[in-house]
Amino acid sequence: MANHETILEAKGIYKSFSGVPVLQDVRFEVRRGEVHALMGENGAGKSTLIKIITGVYTKDDGQIYWEGKPVEINNYQDCQKLGVACIYQELSVIPPLTVAQNVFLGREPKNAFGLIDHKKMNEMTQELIDKYEFPLKPTTIVDNLGIGQRQLIEILKGLSQNSKLLIMDEPTASLSGKEAEMLFRIITTLREQNVSIIYISHRLEEVYRLSDRLTILRDGKNEAVLQKEEIVPAKVIKTMIGKEVDESAGSKKMLHSEDTEVRLDVQNLTDKADRFRNISFQVHRGEILGFGGLIGAGRTELVRAIYGVDQAQSGTVILDGKTLSPSPKNSILAGIGFVPEDRRNQGFIPLLSTTRNVALTNYDILPKNGLSVSDAAELEMSKKAISSIDIRPADPGKQVGVMSGGNQQKVVLGKWLMRDLNLLIVDEPTAGIDVGAKDEIYRILEDLARQGVAVIVVTSDLQELIRVSHRILVMRKGDIVKEFKNVEVTQSKVLAAGQGVAEEEEAS
Amino acid sequence: MKQMKQSTLRRLISIAMLVVLIILFSALAGTKFLNANNFIEIVRDTSVVAIVGVGVTYAIITAGIDLSTGSIMAVVGMTMANIYAYTLWPIPIMILLGLIVGVLCGLFNGYIIGKIGIPEFIGTLATMTIFRAVTYIIAVKDANGVIMSQPMNISTYAVLGYAIGPFYFVVLAMIFFVVAGQILLKYTRLGTNIYAVGANKKAAALSGIDVAKTRMIVYTIVGLCAAVGSVFTTARLQSATTAIGDGFEFNPIAAAVVGGVALSGGSGDVVGMLIGALFMATLESGVQKLDMNNAYQYVIKGVIIILVVMFDAAYKNRMDRAAKEQGAKEGME
Amino acid sequence: MKNFNLTKYSKPLILLVFIIVLTILRPSTFLTVSNFANVLWSISVIGIMVCGTIFVFLIGGIDLSIATLCGFCAVVTVKTITYFHNSTGGVFAGILAALAVGAAAGCLHGIVITRFHIPAFLVTFATQSIFLGLSMIVTSNKIISCTEPAAFTAIGAKKILGFPLPIYLMILIAALAWYVLRKTEFGRYIYAVGGNATAAEISGINVRRSTVLCYVFSGLTTALGGVILASMTQQAMASTGSGYTNDVITAGVIGGVSLLGGEGTVLGAMFGAVLMGLLNNGLNLMSVPSTHAGLVKGLVIIIAVGFDALQHTDQARKKVKKIVKKEA
Repeated sequence: MANHETILEAKGIYKSFSGVPVLQDVRFEVRRGEVHALMGENGAGKSTLIKIITGVYTKDDGQIYWEGKPVEINNYQDCQKLGVACIYQELSVIPPLTVAQNVFLGREPKNAFGLIDHKKMNEMTQELIDKYEFPLKPTTIVDNLGIGQRQLIEILKGLSQNSKLLIMDEPTASLSGKEAEMLFRIITTLREQNVSIIYISHRLEEVYRLSDRLTILRDGKNEAVLQKEEIVPAKVIKTMIGKEVDESAGSKKMLHSEDTEVRLDVQNLTDKADRFRNISFQVHRGEILGFGGLIGAGRTELVRAIYGVDQAQSGTVILDGKTLSPSPKNSILAGIGFVPEDRRNQGFIPLLSTTRNVALTNYDILPKNGLSVSDAAELEMSKKAISSIDIRPADPGKQVGVMSGGNQQKVVLGKWLMRDLNLLIVDEPTAGIDVGAKDEIYRILEDLARQGVAVIVVTSDLQELIRVSHRILVMRKGDIVKEFKNVEVTQSKVLAAGQGVAEEEEAS
Repeated sequence: MKQMKQSTLRRLISIAMLVVLIILFSALAGTKFLNANNFIEIVRDTSVVAIVGVGVTYAIITAGIDLSTGSIMAVVGMTMANIYAYTLWPIPIMILLGLIVGVLCGLFNGYIIGKIGIPEFIGTLATMTIFRAVTYIIAVKDANGVIMSQPMNISTYAVLGYAIGPFYFVVLAMIFFVVAGQILLKYTRLGTNIYAVGANKKAAALSGIDVAKTRMIVYTIVGLCAAVGSVFTTARLQSATTAIGDGFEFNPIAAAVVGGVALSGGSGDVVGMLIGALFMATLESGVQKLDMNNAYQYVIKGVIIILVVMFDAAYKNRMDRAAKEQGAKEGME
Repeated sequence: MKNFNLTKYSKPLILLVFIIVLTILRPSTFLTVSNFANVLWSISVIGIMVCGTIFVFLIGGIDLSIATLCGFCAVVTVKTITYFHNSTGGVFAGILAALAVGAAAGCLHGIVITRFHIPAFLVTFATQSIFLGLSMIVTSNKIISCTEPAAFTAIGAKKILGFPLPIYLMILIAALAWYVLRKTEFGRYIYAVGGNATAAEISGINVRRSTVLCYVFSGLTTALGGVILASMTQQAMASTGSGYTNDVITAGVIGGVSLLGGEGTVLGAMFGAVLMGLLNNGLNLMSVPSTHAGLVKGLVIIIAVGFDALQHTDQARKKVKKIVKKEA
């Protein structure tokens, strides 16, 4: 088990991006053979800290010590040499090669003729596999393996380079329950073998189960370092959110919604890949319904199915009393607008102008001269969008690809405002955009609700969720687990529901 | 062990296709098709395609393609023809210079693809016309300035087109290239890198592989293979013309695709390509022996490529899904 | 911003420089009306074909079967006309048959590409062989000449106001393509699909159907090109149209059509075709054999696409830097 020898220590770390402080006087310490969890809300500085440790970013100030000696880490190679391996979320295994070939990629043992010695390579891999008890075989082609096992190969690759510290960033994000179990078992074995692990996760239950100690960051500062016995869900949530924050105006609200006429009625919607199941809920006229929960809880998949980008396995979507046959085209004609999660890849056409992007979904309502689209009407619509939501630059001919994130999002949203909507679905509407544009977008959503549009907001930003929602549903692992309706809601309550922490426990 | 390896199954399918084709033609054409001499001819006809195919297989495994092989053969052939016509240099020097020209052509492809980043099929489509034009520019001309076919029938060169017993030299060369090509692919770092680049360029780069360099080396190898193919082709014809390799680029690609080298990159090998090349040569021979219009082979080849690729695409889809489910299950054990 | 202006005016500038150089080099033969009519006539087939294939380029696809499909359609036309004993009615039947073949081929391409997610270049690479084989089978690998009836030979040669008919046809097709791309809803969708297919799909555009239609357009103009080529030469054979794949792609690329999709105009493509015609004509006037032109054409593709590619990687690099900076 964990002894008290420190393997990695970062002291007084400062980092800011273009004047905005991201890390301030952060101290982080990992001991040999411990699983050390790192938690914090989005933007708390976790990934920046990790990127400094792995040499992706350079720190502004502070010092890193490795096994007691001060070290400079300027790139990933430096950190590999020390014995730190980072298991990337985006896996870097090569599917057509065998497990052994992947583990020793670029460092293959050679025989007397200068050719790769497959036998030796397989033996070396088998040794590692035996030592750490991985459920793998050296000769298996990776193509035939699931994501969980591919992740294990990454870990094995790190271990083959004698890594003493593994960094795992949200390792269970795309794993099934069984695959996650396998990973947890491996982590336990690694700990017994004196390998240290930095475990970054949003999922409290995992942290609770695995970690020996837990460092919590908030707003770029150390909030707490908790010992194993102190890692109690309610306490962790309170620490992450911060007492003063939870009490402050922005993160506490008395929800208020009235059961006016039902606009959207979703009945028993179930996903093909089981990412959500048997989902039923309603949205009323003029209501903003917020969806909370962790990333990967199935919210994005759910709204995509409602809009008809993905086909659901079963279930019905009824809008204003009419059953929809799901496809983007049908949804648009029925008066549904959709702002997707991944703006750059799904939201707009970068090479085209604001005018063309705004008009893209609106050719059915734009006047035509015979067969041709009226350029004048198109331009007029674009100007209207620009002035009504303040898109900058106010140039209808500007390529959207070169605009700022906030303005891109306004273009994406703006095209829906040009037509009569009955339902608007927005997924992470303000991710990566500046404060001014955020407020503008909230105002637009509220205006729409006032006009009687039903609005669904999916967001991982708790403050935003509470700020805009009239009613909140929380999803966890593909199910709706909690409804907040006409009650006082706080960030920690939403977070606890998303983490599956029971209410009594949370209250204690 | 629960299921056969994907690549093994695909290999069995190509072998089965070849066997079925041989049985089919044997049944239809009888001993006209089914005799030892015909098979020796089929293997001989396979050889140049398979030699060039080694390089093309590498290119396709890196998720690329090379459409310029036929034109490289022409440039190489015409280079040698010039040396043959205008100098008294020894034959080995002539061949060596021909090979060097081929390597340079390949290097040029590699540079515009690897370093500049031009999509493979556009880049090699362009060099296909460039190399062909260069062939015309350097073509040997008669006294009136008219392009002529340059005979290259000196025995020390023409011998390359002959055979020892049933073994043509070109077949021996092919065997060498296929064996060496397969070893390079499976037992060297370059081979591993070729697979890695084709399967996932980003991941390959993350693992410290120089992607641009790997691609440059691959296209240079294609150039070398095409040059060797040109040497044997001109030796067999005992002459060089501007038409050498016209339309040839189709053959090694077709062989590779039929042999299970997926155009999406990262899979297949040289042996598979060889089976594909044998399949194509058998098809040609069979069409001939059945006294069918030679044109049918073009249609049949095109249709077979589309069917094979469609099959591979559908099959890969299914396997990927199966792998995912399997992964989810195996976590439990 | 400086670069932007340069790109904007580079096309007319290149054209002008070209004309001036050729005028100086061959003053008596180049700058004549008949020579210009000649140039336009010689590019009319490429010009017509690029008007259809530009749709394919715009959605980020490619068509390598242009040359052999063109040949096959020429063969089909001539065969049909001779079947109808070279009657005028046979000419109509021949044209219709060719267009039907072209449309069917495009449809086949589009469906195989979209249904099975197979790269366009591979599908059209395979069908190129099929069309060649079909032409050879139908013609028994011989040249089929067709000098009758007048209605047929007129397509490629009849002069109206001093200019041959194909030039008018080219202008008509170009105007049609321009109209569809620039003025209609469908044209807007093409640019959206080529620029970002996922976003287009979410915006309610049927990406699959649009893609198939683009290949059908390409097939149709290729077929028309085949008909005109057959009429011009009053014959058809398997090798009719050989080399046209590269010429059409080169014309598009010179005209600023991005082979990566989403960028390019019919006007640009027509400019590319004209420039290619001038290039061929100029080389011809300077007694450079046509077989050597491939060197220039190939280099033009490499330079144009290479410039594109370098810019893209440059932009990508800048973007990464920006994102890294922003990640605060």
